[in-house]
Amino acid sequence: MSTSSPALPASEQVRSDLLRPLLQTSWKFYVLVAFLGAIVVAALAAWVTQMTLGFGISGIRWPVYWGFYVTNFVFWIGISHAGTLISAILRLVNAGWRRPVTRCAEVITAFALIIGAMFPLIHLGRPWLAFWLFPYPSERMIWPNFRSPLVWDFFAINTYLTGSLLFLFLPMLPDFAIVRDRATGMRRRIYGVLALGWRGTPTQWHRLETAMQIMAVAIIPVAVSVHTIVSFDFSMAPVPMWQTTIFGPYFVAGAIFSGIAGLIIAMAILRRVLHLERYLHPVHFQNLGKLMLVMALLWGYFVFNERLVTYYGNGASEMQVFWRTQRLTFAPLYWTMVVCNFVLPLVIMGISRFRTITGCVIASIGVVIGMWLERFLIIVPSLGHKYLPYSFGTYSPQPVEIVITVGTFAAMTLLYVLFAKFVPIISIWELTAVQHPSPALIPPATAEHPLGETHA
Amino acid sequence: MPHRWGMAADLDRCNGCGACVVACAAENNISTVGAEQAALGRAKHWIRVERYWEGEFPDVRLKFRPVMCQQCDNAPCEPVCPTYASHHTDDGLNAQVYNRCIGTRYCANACPYNVRFFDFFNPSWEKPLQLQLNPDVSLREVGVMEKCTFCVQRIKAVTVQVAAEDRELKDGEITPACVQSCAAKALVFGDLNDPESEVSRLSHSPRGSKLLEDLGTLPKVTYLPRDTEA
Amino acid sequence: MDRRSFIKLTAITGTSATLASCGNPENALIRFVPDDEIVPGIAVWKPSVCPLCSAGCGLTVRVMDADAEVVRNGQAGVVRIAAAKKLEGGPLHPISQGGLCARGQAAIQVTYHPDRITQPLKRSGTRGDGQYEAITWDAAIAELLSRLDALAAAGNQKALAFATRAGSSHRHALVDQFLARFGAPGPVSFELFGDQVLRRANALSFGREQLPTFDLPNARMAISFGADFLGTWNSPVAQAAGYGQMRKGRPGIRGAFVQVEARMSQTGANADEWVPATPGTEGVLALGLAHAILAANLRPAAAAGRAGTQIDGWAAGLADYAPAAVEKVTGVAASRIERIARDLAERSPAVAMVGGAPLAHTNGLFTALAVNALNALLGSVEQPGGLFFTPRITLADGAAAPAAPSIEQLASGILGGSNAVQVLLVDGSNPVFTTPTAWKVSEALAKIPFIASFGSFLDETSGMADLILPDHSFLESWIEAVPESGSIAAVASVAPPVMRPLHQTRAMPDVLLDVSRRLATPVALPWETFDQMVGATFMKLAPAAAGGDAWGDAQAQGAWSGALPAGLASPPSVTEETPQPVPEPRFDGDAAQYPFHFLPYPSSAFLDGSLAHLPWLQEMPDPITSAMWSSWVEINNTTAERLGIAQGDIIEITSTQGTLRAPAYVSPGLAPDIVAMPVGQGHRMFTRYATGRGQNPVSLIAPLTEASTGAVAWAATRVKIARVGGPDGSLIMFAGGDREHPYEDLGRG
Repeated sequence: MSTSSPALPASEQVRSDLLRPLLQTSWKFYVLVAFLGAIVVAALAAWVTQMTLGFGISGIRWPVYWGFYVTNFVFWIGISHAGTLISAILRLVNAGWRRPVTRCAEVITAFALIIGAMFPLIHLGRPWLAFWLFPYPSERMIWPNFRSPLVWDFFAINTYLTGSLLFLFLPMLPDFAIVRDRATGMRRRIYGVLALGWRGTPTQWHRLETAMQIMAVAIIPVAVSVHTIVSFDFSMAPVPMWQTTIFGPYFVAGAIFSGIAGLIIAMAILRRVLHLERYLHPVHFQNLGKLMLVMALLWGYFVFNERLVTYYGNGASEMQVFWRTQRLTFAPLYWTMVVCNFVLPLVIMGISRFRTITGCVIASIGVVIGMWLERFLIIVPSLGHKYLPYSFGTYSPQPVEIVITVGTFAAMTLLYVLFAKFVPIISIWELTAVQHPSPALIPPATAEHPLGETHA
Repeated sequence: MPHRWGMAADLDRCNGCGACVVACAAENNISTVGAEQAALGRAKHWIRVERYWEGEFPDVRLKFRPVMCQQCDNAPCEPVCPTYASHHTDDGLNAQVYNRCIGTRYCANACPYNVRFFDFFNPSWEKPLQLQLNPDVSLREVGVMEKCTFCVQRIKAVTVQVAAEDRELKDGEITPACVQSCAAKALVFGDLNDPESEVSRLSHSPRGSKLLEDLGTLPKVTYLPRDTEA
Repeated sequence: MDRRSFIKLTAITGTSATLASCGNPENALIRFVPDDEIVPGIAVWKPSVCPLCSAGCGLTVRVMDADAEVVRNGQAGVVRIAAAKKLEGGPLHPISQGGLCARGQAAIQVTYHPDRITQPLKRSGTRGDGQYEAITWDAAIAELLSRLDALAAAGNQKALAFATRAGSSHRHALVDQFLARFGAPGPVSFELFGDQVLRRANALSFGREQLPTFDLPNARMAISFGADFLGTWNSPVAQAAGYGQMRKGRPGIRGAFVQVEARMSQTGANADEWVPATPGTEGVLALGLAHAILAANLRPAAAAGRAGTQIDGWAAGLADYAPAAVEKVTGVAASRIERIARDLAERSPAVAMVGGAPLAHTNGLFTALAVNALNALLGSVEQPGGLFFTPRITLADGAAAPAAPSIEQLASGILGGSNAVQVLLVDGSNPVFTTPTAWKVSEALAKIPFIASFGSFLDETSGMADLILPDHSFLESWIEAVPESGSIAAVASVAPPVMRPLHQTRAMPDVLLDVSRRLATPVALPWETFDQMVGATFMKLAPAAAGGDAWGDAQAQGAWSGALPAGLASPPSVTEETPQPVPEPRFDGDAAQYPFHFLPYPSSAFLDGSLAHLPWLQEMPDPITSAMWSSWVEINNTTAERLGIAQGDIIEITSTQGTLRAPAYVSPGLAPDIVAMPVGQGHRMFTRYATGRGQNPVSLIAPLTEASTGAVAWAATRVKIARVGGPDGSLIMFAGGDREHPYEDLGRG
């Protein structure tokens, strides 16, 4: 790695590179959008079918009343921690290497949250009455039950979604202005509206700076609280292996863990598809990989802690669930999860030789699978083996649940593709620091983390 | 003083025949789900007779235990419901307001006894089986959680009658369908706030215990175990 | 828009909406005049009698208003009727005492069954394919009359056969009187799980040819040899009530209970001590207990009286039945035999029961006589805490019809050409389903030129009928029963119709009376209607209060119970014959080739299969396995492990009679050399709920019989088993786990 002062690409170069996806459209884009769109439509059709024919076409049953849908809910809310939390932390510590990464991450947050927040609706027995969760003054003065963790969820997710959207939108203003200034016709008008009159005056830069600082500070506790509250959905109920004080931090750690993995995968795809090799460097992947390694160790610690305490405590009902996952029906899934979430990241991220982009992506795919399994293994075995063995039950997902699950992955990809099509996926203004009037917003380019260097 | 309804199940009398199971379905308009749905775990039995094997042949025993909603005083199903569909009544019942239920199924997950049943489809009765439906019990539509109510419709009918006649409720005057059907008189129902009632006496029996007592749910159903000595 | 046009527009829309709703087809339905006896929303309770088994439990029926879709005079319409809503045990009835079994609770679905036959039918397809066309009652009765008249004209009245269920009621008496006066043999009744062997033994031992009633509330110990008396045998509701009293009804006294059987039944699950004995050796065990009592001089041999004289070597102290010898035969430890014997003698009063599989061997009579002798030795006959015989009421004067052949003899007669049955009438009986295949009942029925059924449902037997004259349901007609057991005092149940008929059906007894009058040579029966016949009996009974009216009281309460006036009680049956029953059972199938005993048993839900059409019972979890909508084969867990059979695996069972495949239920509750299977499923034709569901184990039963009664020895078949596949989903269980602490061993290991 060169220690000399790096040759930065010219600002014009950066702009044309990063605006290229907005201006050029290949047929592959349409094929991809059509393909993903078809899957999303299929998932919507599946949901409509479920509402029309009855919830019974899913695999939910007595006593496993939550299955794929709630798994997906927790999973996507977890993925949403990719962005905002990571980018907010990196912004606050002013880590220089984060500049090309933040927007990719924040977009994940926004879309994963929207998708995740769909699942409480999808899993409702009577979704047409979901508005009863809103605290509105009904004529009978019936309010939601504020003791219910589901109502807490409702508020936490709404807050987080609002915050994340703001956090995503604010730093996009200068970029919208750049697009506006280059576009013509209808586009110019649309981007003009989106840019909210951004002119790049020092006052505007100052306000943006202040707003970003406030948001970055505010969003971190919100993000932590969201997944803690999601964990409360489980830990507040007297269900074996659910009712544990560890769930709050365990879920937050798991969320960040899966969020990083999701981010690495997204970045790798963007880098390849949009030819952003000049902006997304192996060092970004390596650094995120190191972060993921830390989270893998943390996750391993939590799981070890949870399992050991259960085993040592030897409570009869807990042990029924414990053995189910450790040794019996769910053991294959359980050990797959351990390999994916712990062994794989530890080996790949722990050995610097493997810490390449490919290595990071492989480990990340493992973590995404593993974290999905983790949520499934928290929900289903406990519900299926709750206290009275006569009422034990199994669960197997039905086509409608599988289609909807696949559909959410397609929806995530589709939204991401469309976003990258219409908005520069890498913050232009943060990379073109030269012309920046407010250098404080831009972290310094250090020798270790040069900007714009192209690695062979 | 308000009533506080409770039940006692004497397992030394219960012989596991299952009459209560069918009586409950008949009284409470519980729809039959059919073989295919039953295989998917959708059968609804508000009361069930659990049976557990103990030991190995030839020293083998079988234990029966009727399990219905335990009408907990500290019910885990109640606080988790976001819409108050599951709530506590003044006379101590865990009521389920079907109209208010949106089907999160959280209550059923929180219930340690797994006595809550979800309607996966709109219930149907092949004509003319619908003539049997009890007009005192509402039907539940798809997406709603249903459960044992201690036959609240029978409780109401009698308490309203008693109030109209301006007299005291007699012990044993109210019998939920399961209690009524039990030939061996294994199930006893009554007012726990009446110290003279049979159910109070049995609930305070040193033989008595509650199901999953250590969870702190404060159930109002007392189980009197099978004796081993004469 | 001005005010005027607004009003106009509103008027137009409103009118067109009203007009449109007039076009709804629902509104075109005709509303018939409602029942005037019913107040909407107000429930009344009326008595009735449960028709599902011979126990004769009294019911109380909740009746409320409901909208029924009915056909009146060929026109469909809706009528508000007084509809039965729920069945409960009659609180004052001496047998049900307010309780009711699961089957009785479901009996209401007989009335409201969607596949009930709603009008007379005439066969339009080939016999047995279930194709029928609707005809009028006039045509149906004319058809039946022409067939019976043809028999009478040819002087061939003996060619009329009438198949019924076993039981004791005026309905049976009416059929018998009709046949006697027509000149035909008596009704052919067949019950797979009938108790002829025990009745016979009771006649020999006690001079009463009927099932006993047990005074469990006063017993301090009960021992049951295979009798599922809390589930399916004899009078289960009365016995369950008595059992509850025996256990907890007396302060400080808890009756002990020992069950002897090789497969744990629902009843056996409640025993303090469960004693698995080798199948067919239960009588030996009973005599072993008697020997131990005699040897310890706890009772004198003479105490057994007449019952003792039925047993070889009784007076000499049963030298052949020393505990050590009995242990060898029965597999029950000698010390255990001695202990139980001492308990029986010391915990007086103690009572012994026998029923079910122990009597379904070729040595069934021996077993029954042995248990009877034990009872007599314990001093429990007609004593508090012992067994009683309900006084029987004579139901109809007049000579009974000559005894009919058994269904087995009937079938072989038809097929062999010695008995040319021309007309068969079927009432509530389904012998095609419940008889061993080797008897070829189905083939014999196919040869009968004319079959008419009074059944409400198409089943394997009524599906072969040429003419169907559907009966009312029990709630729509006069219903009565004169139970042979379940009450120490004499009892007769009766109730008028609870509701009006839903369909174009007619009560079978009234159809029979109508036919008897309209025959070319009328059969003289002294009653105009069935209720007249029933009433005639009740008029003779003593009223509850002086100046009362037993008939009126009985109708109001659903039952009469009390002391029988002299002359109305059936005399004890005296039989001088002393058979010498063999103690050793015979089995069908070589033990080397067929290593397992096959034990069919009446299912808790369906008894012999006659209730498999009721959806509530299909969906009721079986008390032992928790299975719903299924057939299964119970197999011991160590045996299953040895053969590599897991829960739900499909196993093939083969006897000398045939083969069937069913899922396995692996259980510790039966002996390693036994496979058990509930009877009830496997219907080829029996409504939408039962048709094609599961397997019928009767098809494996070998045609061995108990010699003196001809009863099927349904527990005497040997089989071999093989695993043929993994779970196919046909075993539907409600329960997830079998053990309360499932993974204890994992924790230790």
